[in-house]
Amino acid sequence: MKLARMTGMFLAAGLVLGLAGGAAAQTRVGGMNMEGEIEAGARFFVEEPSKNEKQKFEEYRDMGQGLFLEGLKLRLFTDDERYSFEFLGSKWGRDDQEFSLRTGRTGLWRFEFDWDQMLHTFSTTARTLAHEVSRGVWQLPGLQDLRDFNSARELPPVAVRWYTARMGLTVTPTPDLDLTAQYTRIRKEGDRPYSMSFSANFSGLNFLELLEPIEQTIHDLRLGAALARENWQIQAGYKLSIFQNDLTRVRFDNPCAQFAAAAPLRCTATETAGAPPWGQSSVPPSNMAHSWNLAGGVNLPLRTRVTASLAYSLWLQNDDFLPMTVNPALIGDGRTVLPQDSLNGSMSTTNVNVAVTSRPLPLPLSLSAKYRLYNLTDNSDSMTFQARVINDRAFTTAVIRNHHLHYTRQNFDADGRYQIMRPLAATLGFGWEEWYRGPERQAHQTDEFFAKAALDATVADWLTGKLTYKPSFRRANQYNGMIGDFAWFTRQFDQADVDRQRLDLLLQFTPLDTLSITPVGSWRHDDYVKSAFGVNWETSWSAGIDIGWNPSERVSLSAGYMHEVTDRNLTSRGTQQIVNSDWLSNMLDQTDSFHLSAKLSVIPKLLDWTANAYYAISNRTIETRNPSAQVGGPALTAARRAQRFPDFTDDSLRIDAALRYHFTKSWTASLVYAFEKFSMSDWRTNSLQPFDDGTIGNTGSIYLGSNAKNYTSHIVGATLKYKFE
Amino acid sequence: MTGRRWRLFAGTASAAAVFGAGIILGLPFSSRAQQPAKPAAAAAAPTDSNYVGAEVCKACHVEAFSTFSKTRMGRVFLFQARSPQEANACESCHGPGKAHVDAGGGKGKGGLITFARNDPTPVEKRNAVCLDCHAKGARLFWKGSTHESRDVACTNCHKIMEAVSPKAQLAKETMIDTCGQCHLQKKAQVLSRSSHMPLREGKMTCASCHNPHGTASPTLLKEPSVNETCYTCHAEKRGPVLWGHPPVEESCANCHEAHGSNHEKMLKLAVPRLCQRCHQVGHPSSPRGRAGTDLKLLLGRACVNCHALIHGSNHPAGARFTR
Repeated sequence: MKLARMTGMFLAAGLVLGLAGGAAAQTRVGGMNMEGEIEAGARFFVEEPSKNEKQKFEEYRDMGQGLFLEGLKLRLFTDDERYSFEFLGSKWGRDDQEFSLRTGRTGLWRFEFDWDQMLHTFSTTARTLAHEVSRGVWQLPGLQDLRDFNSARELPPVAVRWYTARMGLTVTPTPDLDLTAQYTRIRKEGDRPYSMSFSANFSGLNFLELLEPIEQTIHDLRLGAALARENWQIQAGYKLSIFQNDLTRVRFDNPCAQFAAAAPLRCTATETAGAPPWGQSSVPPSNMAHSWNLAGGVNLPLRTRVTASLAYSLWLQNDDFLPMTVNPALIGDGRTVLPQDSLNGSMSTTNVNVAVTSRPLPLPLSLSAKYRLYNLTDNSDSMTFQARVINDRAFTTAVIRNHHLHYTRQNFDADGRYQIMRPLAATLGFGWEEWYRGPERQAHQTDEFFAKAALDATVADWLTGKLTYKPSFRRANQYNGMIGDFAWFTRQFDQADVDRQRLDLLLQFTPLDTLSITPVGSWRHDDYVKSAFGVNWETSWSAGIDIGWNPSERVSLSAGYMHEVTDRNLTSRGTQQIVNSDWLSNMLDQTDSFHLSAKLSVIPKLLDWTANAYYAISNRTIETRNPSAQVGGPALTAARRAQRFPDFTDDSLRIDAALRYHFTKSWTASLVYAFEKFSMSDWRTNSLQPFDDGTIGNTGSIYLGSNAKNYTSHIVGATLKYKFE
Repeated sequence: MTGRRWRLFAGTASAAAVFGAGIILGLPFSSRAQQPAKPAAAAAAPTDSNYVGAEVCKACHVEAFSTFSKTRMGRVFLFQARSPQEANACESCHGPGKAHVDAGGGKGKGGLITFARNDPTPVEKRNAVCLDCHAKGARLFWKGSTHESRDVACTNCHKIMEAVSPKAQLAKETMIDTCGQCHLQKKAQVLSRSSHMPLREGKMTCASCHNPHGTASPTLLKEPSVNETCYTCHAEKRGPVLWGHPPVEESCANCHEAHGSNHEKMLKLAVPRLCQRCHQVGHPSSPRGRAGTDLKLLLGRACVNCHALIHGSNHPAGARFTR
């Protein structure tokens, strides 16, 4: 099917070229001028990643070898450019193909249609013993087969395909009025690895990897109108977003349901006693959102401008609940009766913005002030559950009520910018952000105050600089650690008191018109001042440089380097709730990125050479220790003793080079070479095999292989490009 | 060479043959005869004597005129001007050219706005030229926006005289390179992180989430909040659901780094430490060494081995996100 599709594409392309003809004079079709270009060719692997290695290599693209259409662009237009029709496309016949249609009457209306396909690959090593008897329902084989992990069959690549279609119409009946309508449909199909737990309690190891079926559609319709006059502008819009999930549940057999505690499953007696035969999990429910927005701006005297916007959204969801449990032993129990059949879910958001900028004085002084309010309110029904079923296994009689998230966030900031002298401008400002949260969170009110200082300097034609410093501090009015199932002495990082520092620097040197050098640096530090437990501090900094140089018209070079560091400290009370089981963890991420690009006109207008290289290497560590292990108390058990995790590392290298020969004004032949190398070490997944003999869980969970394998690839290709105008 | 590669070479040769056949077939249909009629501007230029007209500019700036005429703006100004201002073509942006011509041309002569890096014209005045026509739509909140307040010129990001990029007449070939002129750290993040959204594959751009011309939201997001921006493509996370997870509902950025991360699922930190920033009671309070009982909470998906519906659940038994 794929070969037939690609063959058809190439025949169509050939006919297009036929219509374009021999290309000396301008091409005309049906009274319209035609111009365009088409580039196609073939690529093949000198070294191809194996099927198991392709997850990262083809995470978002289809890199199959063979014929490919690099790009097609066809434009038809009238002599006076009044009407035009444009058709573009690339990667036709591939899983990541895309094409676009654009047509319009210049200055009056414009219609666009885009089609895009994308593949998000999660795993190419997945194996499972289960069979999908119907969409989202997985059954395990009999006991004998269940013990034979080698009978686990390989699955096709686990992936979700995205199909996006977008249509848009813009009409400009008068030069100051735009009317727009846009519809986007995103269809997602495939599977995504995740897991389901059947454990009787925390110590149980009975959880299983399975696939979540994805059959979802997003419909997005947007209507808008914008009117602009010399001194004022206004625009309004409506958006309808519908998320539709064709499925409602995932069901999977429990491997410990029927089988005794026998090797190799090693289901414990706890797991097999009263084990449910299967489990059922929900999937994201279908939902809908309506949004309205109104915005405008007006120019006032004293070089003042005011802009404001108001937006309101309503999110709705009312899918029927799944039953409390699918365990046949529990279904008839009165405690499984639900308080109602669905959530009757409703959330609303309100967003208000007002901004004023002014240059009121006959001085180089700009003033601005902004106020922003964002409110989210959950108006869904409240429900109380007198009992719940845990993991389809057993009731817990803890009464629980669904929470309702409410919060209001307000921001205000003001600043003044003064041009001290021609090359130097300074900005000073201050601001405030308040969060007001509902009763389900620990800090009902937090206030953050910040100051801002910035310098923009154009010291000379060849040197500009921008420096920004922004300190702030956030304080919770009252932090109630007793709310929820959290340690009362822990401060959650998103609500805790914090002192922040931010510093950013950018310099641009252009000593020559053909040479630019841009060093940058940034530093951030968050100090969680009252968080004896929780995140203590976080520091991140980066430093880099970018260089672009055109030593001659025929040569263009660029290079860059960036070093980034993020360092965090976290403290926890520990499971024994005594000092000597406290632990302290430091997490350090470091990344270095390099890039090089070169373009050379070997023979002007005849032979070009381009090359690009990208290299990145990253190392992440999690160092953990018990700072008070020697303090009196029970000896630390192995489970409570902190240890350093093995480092997480990854590095990637991409090099591509192309030689292009323009053997006529219209024809270009290219030879292309690409090299890619990727390696990753994550100790949490490195040791796992496509099947698991019980290392991760007693039941021999089949690991669906969602870890990226290392790969190396060498690709060679050739293309032919025809350009006509 | 293997048989497979011979087949590929044969395929390449076949493709070339198809192209050649197309040309041979198409030759009878190509038109050599008629040159297109020279298009006339829809609106006549004003008779202000300080304007010299585009043809005069073209006499010296041949190459610039040629590349400009192929751009969308050039086609409108030169062939389909809708107003006297547009009919001024080159001079509608650069200013009246008579003084420049009278001075014999040359750099810095005649008081034109060049929009070059070393143009002495204040950035605000250069931008005002563009905003004369492009004030509505995405530019409504330009005044007072982050970029405007830091003296970023329209021409820092857009190239008017030549179509360098496929869309939006950007200064560089891609949007990542255009924004990356100043946002080097974000560019490095987008291009180098192992866990990323498909920007480097060309399926998304910076403008998929941001409007660099200014918005009512912080950090130039197109939608009123971080979450509403994410819900554009990930509407399955929007809910509302029976059991929500508050930090998820408040901001996706509490856990995820949208520009790319070296942790799985674009998380800011590896699991379980990500979760242990907030959860420190019961089994999350263990530091997780490498004892056997720890393994299910570390290996594979760690916490999410059991708490798989971590973004929220609509299942009656999903209060702990396990169903």
